[in-house]
Amino acid sequence: MTVAGGDSKEESWGDLLAAAQRGDGGAYRRFLIAITPFVRALVRRRIRADDAVEDVVQETLLTVHRVRHTYEPGRPVEPWLAAIAGRRSIDALRRSSRTGAREVHDPAAYETFAEPAANIGDAGESARVLGPLMGGLPPRQKEALELTKLKEMSLEEASAASGQSVASLKVNVHRAIKRLRLGIGKDMFE
Amino acid sequence: MTVRPTDALIDALSADAAPVGRLAPPLVRASATLAGLALFGLFAILLLPNSNPLAMRGAGAEMQAGLELAAALLTGALAVIAAFHVAIPGRPRGWLAIPLPALALWLGLSGLGCWRDLVRRGPSGWDLGHSMDCLAFIVTASLVLGAPLAWRLSRAAPIDPLPVAALGGLGIAALSAFLLQFFHPFAVTFVDLAVHIVAVGIVMALAGLLRRPMLRPA
Repeated sequence: MTVAGGDSKEESWGDLLAAAQRGDGGAYRRFLIAITPFVRALVRRRIRADDAVEDVVQETLLTVHRVRHTYEPGRPVEPWLAAIAGRRSIDALRRSSRTGAREVHDPAAYETFAEPAANIGDAGESARVLGPLMGGLPPRQKEALELTKLKEMSLEEASAASGQSVASLKVNVHRAIKRLRLGIGKDMFE
Repeated sequence: MTVRPTDALIDALSADAAPVGRLAPPLVRASATLAGLALFGLFAILLLPNSNPLAMRGAGAEMQAGLELAAALLTGALAVIAAFHVAIPGRPRGWLAIPLPALALWLGLSGLGCWRDLVRRGPSGWDLGHSMDCLAFIVTASLVLGAPLAWRLSRAAPIDPLPVAALGGLGIAALSAFLLQFFHPFAVTFVDLAVHIVAVGIVMALAGLLRRPMLRPA
């Protein structure tokens, strides 16, 4: 498949990926944007729920990033991509069937009171206290905390998204939580 | 405007587009690995004590012994080559079946050898022989030869590690069984053959169990 390049010349996915292997960030970005609809269509063949589809698309892109060195220029990209998307879809289905077999989804179980506002608790107060403290964290600690705790990414995903190593992420999350604890009291993170 | 998580991820990944060392084609990598393993095997045959067991065992059945050896070697080599192919996303699943004809030939010829030995020797053809030594040899040699193979296969971070581990395990066990023939100065009985098959199964099962730490899948 091809994609319109910056100089309006058509570039094949194979050429873009080969350029990405050489470290061309622009070509890599065009490649990832071009393949995303194709990956999404592949994932939709196995998975129906929209939010789950998007999760698997992201996992597929992260895997593409990790194994981009295995693509052999000159060979078609589609079977390579289809295998990765297929594998990540199967992994998601297995995870979901394991979860479904062991857990019951009952949204009402999380509610303490019938009045919706009562379940929000002191979220506003927490946000008021946490906001300035988060803003005061060093940038790398703040980024590590946001990716792993607020966006709930795995360490590997957060590492790919931030460029920080897994070890450095762990250290930065630990330090960030320590600073926040000092600011607001320990019990909030227990 | 809201930035969707997938778009943000694409931005983050493309910002991290450091050059990567592209893997050589699987056949090239498999050939280099097999050459390294052959060198190791050659040193083992030359340096470890043995009393020319091939000549002792193959006397009168040279063709049979030669074909059996060739089939074991072919099984090992084809399984290793297939493992390198299957480790790359999108390669045809037909590679899984590539070593099977050679495996069938190897087991068939070994079985035929056992049968001839049984006819020649009578009931003593069922003896246990040195079967447990053979099992220990195949498993130990597989662990030694398997470590560099696993390291080479892990470079691809295979997305589906089980077939890669199974083929790698079969390949390394068959190559170890091939190497065993140079230290096996007696005919293979049916019991020996069964133990050889069990040893191959143990190596494949170990490879399957250890596939994640060994192959570090993506």
